[in-house]
Amino acid sequence: MNRRLFMGQSAALIGAASSFPAFAAQASSLQKAKIIVVGAGYGGATAAKYLRSLSNNSADVTLIEPQAEFISCPISNLVVGGVTQIQDITTSYDGLVKKYGVKMVKDSVSKIDPVKKTVQLASGTVMPYDKLILSPGITFNMDKVEGLAAANQAGVTLQAWKAGPETVALHKQIAEMRDGGVFAMSIPLAPYRCPPGPYERACQVANYLKQHKPKSKVMVFDANADVTSKGKLFKAVWAEQYQGIIDYQPASNVVGVDAKTKTLKFELRDDFQADVLNVIPQMSAGKLVVDTGLANANGRWAKVHFLNFESTAAKDIHVLGDSIQVAPGMPKSGHMANQQAKVAAAAIICELSDYPVNPNPVVTNTCYSFVNSKDVVHVASVHQYNAEEKTFKTVKGSGGLSPAPNALEGIYAWGWAKNIWSDTVG
Amino acid sequence: MIVMSKIKVAMAAAVMSTAIPLSVSAQPNSAEQIYNMSLAATCANCHGTNGISAAGNNMPQISDLTHEEIKTRMLEYKAGTRQGTIMPQLAKGYTDEQINAIAVLLGKKN
Repeated sequence: MNRRLFMGQSAALIGAASSFPAFAAQASSLQKAKIIVVGAGYGGATAAKYLRSLSNNSADVTLIEPQAEFISCPISNLVVGGVTQIQDITTSYDGLVKKYGVKMVKDSVSKIDPVKKTVQLASGTVMPYDKLILSPGITFNMDKVEGLAAANQAGVTLQAWKAGPETVALHKQIAEMRDGGVFAMSIPLAPYRCPPGPYERACQVANYLKQHKPKSKVMVFDANADVTSKGKLFKAVWAEQYQGIIDYQPASNVVGVDAKTKTLKFELRDDFQADVLNVIPQMSAGKLVVDTGLANANGRWAKVHFLNFESTAAKDIHVLGDSIQVAPGMPKSGHMANQQAKVAAAAIICELSDYPVNPNPVVTNTCYSFVNSKDVVHVASVHQYNAEEKTFKTVKGSGGLSPAPNALEGIYAWGWAKNIWSDTVG
Repeated sequence: MIVMSKIKVAMAAAVMSTAIPLSVSAQPNSAEQIYNMSLAATCANCHGTNGISAAGNNMPQISDLTHEEIKTRMLEYKAGTRQGTIMPQLAKGYTDEQINAIAVLLGKKN
């Protein structure tokens, strides 16, 4: 945009304070840019909101999302365990629209043209963009487990790893299981969405069974060699609170599912038959990221420039959240997606305002896991940008874990939830 | 309002085109303001947007503290002289300058 020409024109129109045209020019190029955000989860919704608030509501932001409401994956294990209801983890998008002026479109994206810089919606509408943010979450690689796609479609094997109807349905399966039955869950090889999530789920299901079906068991088949997050803490809880209920089996990779007999088949061990199956599949970047050719880290995740989360494969397309190839020590969490979104939003506002982007961005992670209905353990980390290595690095001496599960952190966990939902969707 | 009528239009037209009844400040944020707001935004996940908590008794309301109080507490967490669950771990990840910038933005406005 030709700033000098514009400044001349507005100076003629205003005839007043000479500093004003400069602001008007910056504001105008920012206002003229069409910014589209795809996916209103922890990453996309936060990006849309902060694009508006950091630009004093002058940025033109359209947020495309097929779902009517924001349903949080974090805390959803409490719904699986029957401790809370799906309404308690559901938030309206109204705040984003009414309070922040984000334009929301209820639709999904079928195709992106990075050359023409257009986004095509499932409805057929084609929308041009100057800046595009993709935060589509994850794709489940069902084909890695033989029979899984069919089992999932038949409602036999739910994953409930995208919060929503499956979360409620999984709790129902557990609630209807016979006393003395077995709930068998499987965990894919890392990296996957939410490292401690599966272990929290094991606790929640065990907690429910202990109270309602005390003869029942929870089998945890983990493809990983050991618990991938808060290992010592979870194992201590399992020994102290769920002895005889939770049976943790590492290095057990599920390769097939027989939906009719509810049997899990493994690479190296005998088949296992259960009453309720919860196979958490291997994951990769959201389909849109993959289809647009941006999953350039082993074909699974999108590499990004960490100062602004721009894809290394396409200019003016920024990728957030679980879809990215993370920096060292950076988890795939909702909290992190929200933090990344703020860095990206600030960088985009700076780029559109002809400012240098922030050379020292910071992101944090705080992850709370409920080991029963009220006690929580956390893991926290702080990541500062390292200019030499061009990535985020955890700060030595910072971050850490809880010493043990405690109820105070259970209170803070709900505080985190209420505040991050408010921060994310208005 | 007087400013608006004098401007004619590049500014007014831009405001109209977004078609929402929200205030658009005539003065955009400077780069430094954006950097500092970004820093303060790292606290929002637990403490609420702009440090204003929407979580009742589930989280301390830091916007009730003055900026000196926030800065002092953060530095104490960082030095290990103040007890906490998470804050001692997080405070150690920020520089003193970052802590100061955050405190100034999130502290109670006098």
